[in-house]
Amino acid sequence: MTHQTHPYHMVNPSPWPLTGAFSALLMTSGLAMWFHFNSTILLSLGMLTNLLTMYQWWRDIVREGTFQGHHTFTVQKGLRYGMILFIISEIFFFAGFFWAFYHSSLAPTPELGGCWPPTGIIPLNPLEVPLLNTAVLLASGVTITWAHHSLMEGDRMSMLQSLLITIMLGIYFTLLQASEYLETPFTISDGVYGSTFFMATGFHGLHVIIGSTFLTICFFRQLNFHFTSSHHFGFEAAAWYWHFVDVVWLFLYVSIYWWGS
Amino acid sequence: MLRNLLGLRQIAQRTISTASRRHFENKVPEKQKLFQEDDGIPVHLKGGVADAILYRLTMVLTVGGKAFRMFEGTAYAIYQLAVASFPKKQD
Repeated sequence: MTHQTHPYHMVNPSPWPLTGAFSALLMTSGLAMWFHFNSTILLSLGMLTNLLTMYQWWRDIVREGTFQGHHTFTVQKGLRYGMILFIISEIFFFAGFFWAFYHSSLAPTPELGGCWPPTGIIPLNPLEVPLLNTAVLLASGVTITWAHHSLMEGDRMSMLQSLLITIMLGIYFTLLQASEYLETPFTISDGVYGSTFFMATGFHGLHVIIGSTFLTICFFRQLNFHFTSSHHFGFEAAAWYWHFVDVVWLFLYVSIYWWGS
Repeated sequence: MLRNLLGLRQIAQRTISTASRRHFENKVPEKQKLFQEDDGIPVHLKGGVADAILYRLTMVLTVGGKAFRMFEGTAYAIYQLAVASFPKKQD
């Protein structure tokens, strides 16, 4: 039997990169079919295959790390780099939307009335639900830190409790934001104000949902004893992502909700 | 009396932790044994029959979807060309 003499992980051949690429093709062309030809079958197929790919690919990573022991310290270092670089790419993604917002709001055109918010736009009161949302996410940052420390100290029950609270706060944020969306007096088609508002907050909301999902997966993994007090990178990655989502909201709140009103 | 109370608390805690242990036993060692078997099966199929079914389903949907998209896309492209070839008469 051969043994590797290096600390790296030589993965088994896997079909998921291929199915992932195909699902991306199906989703993008599905979007085009929906926009222009009123057909949703391709988009639905794309989203389904995307979900299947993500589930199986990440399931395999859990198997490789937790069950097969491939995640040596060196491999973990690589995973850390990967997650950090991914979050940096997401920061650049949001930077684009913030750029668009500041471009339009710092020098409002005569067509908008030369002012920001533009004439006719009634912005949301930043001291109402948006402020509550800020408190909710900040609190969730505290509870996730509590969860991490519990995990490192081997306190299983506390970790589960605090992680559950974190997830519930994330869901609460999403529900509050959804109700705000229904209440806004303006829509996405209401000029550049509407566009920048809903693109920035909309993508943020999507990231909250993604983060909450990631945390929920961590919750079930903790229930099933996957994490140890010294090796729990999946949880750390979820926590980093969650803090990132929180920070983006703070920028959104200060820029769009507060300064932009 | 305080010692009795403390004792009661300890028993209650122990009962609760036993109950939770019944619901969630640590099955990781079993999984580790299953996935470390030297049978040459790649990790995406190593879990059993369910893995193979899910894999086949995913492949059928993606490749089938691609074929469908190419068919649909080609069909639409030809349709658009046909429409463009016969301009509507202006009244």
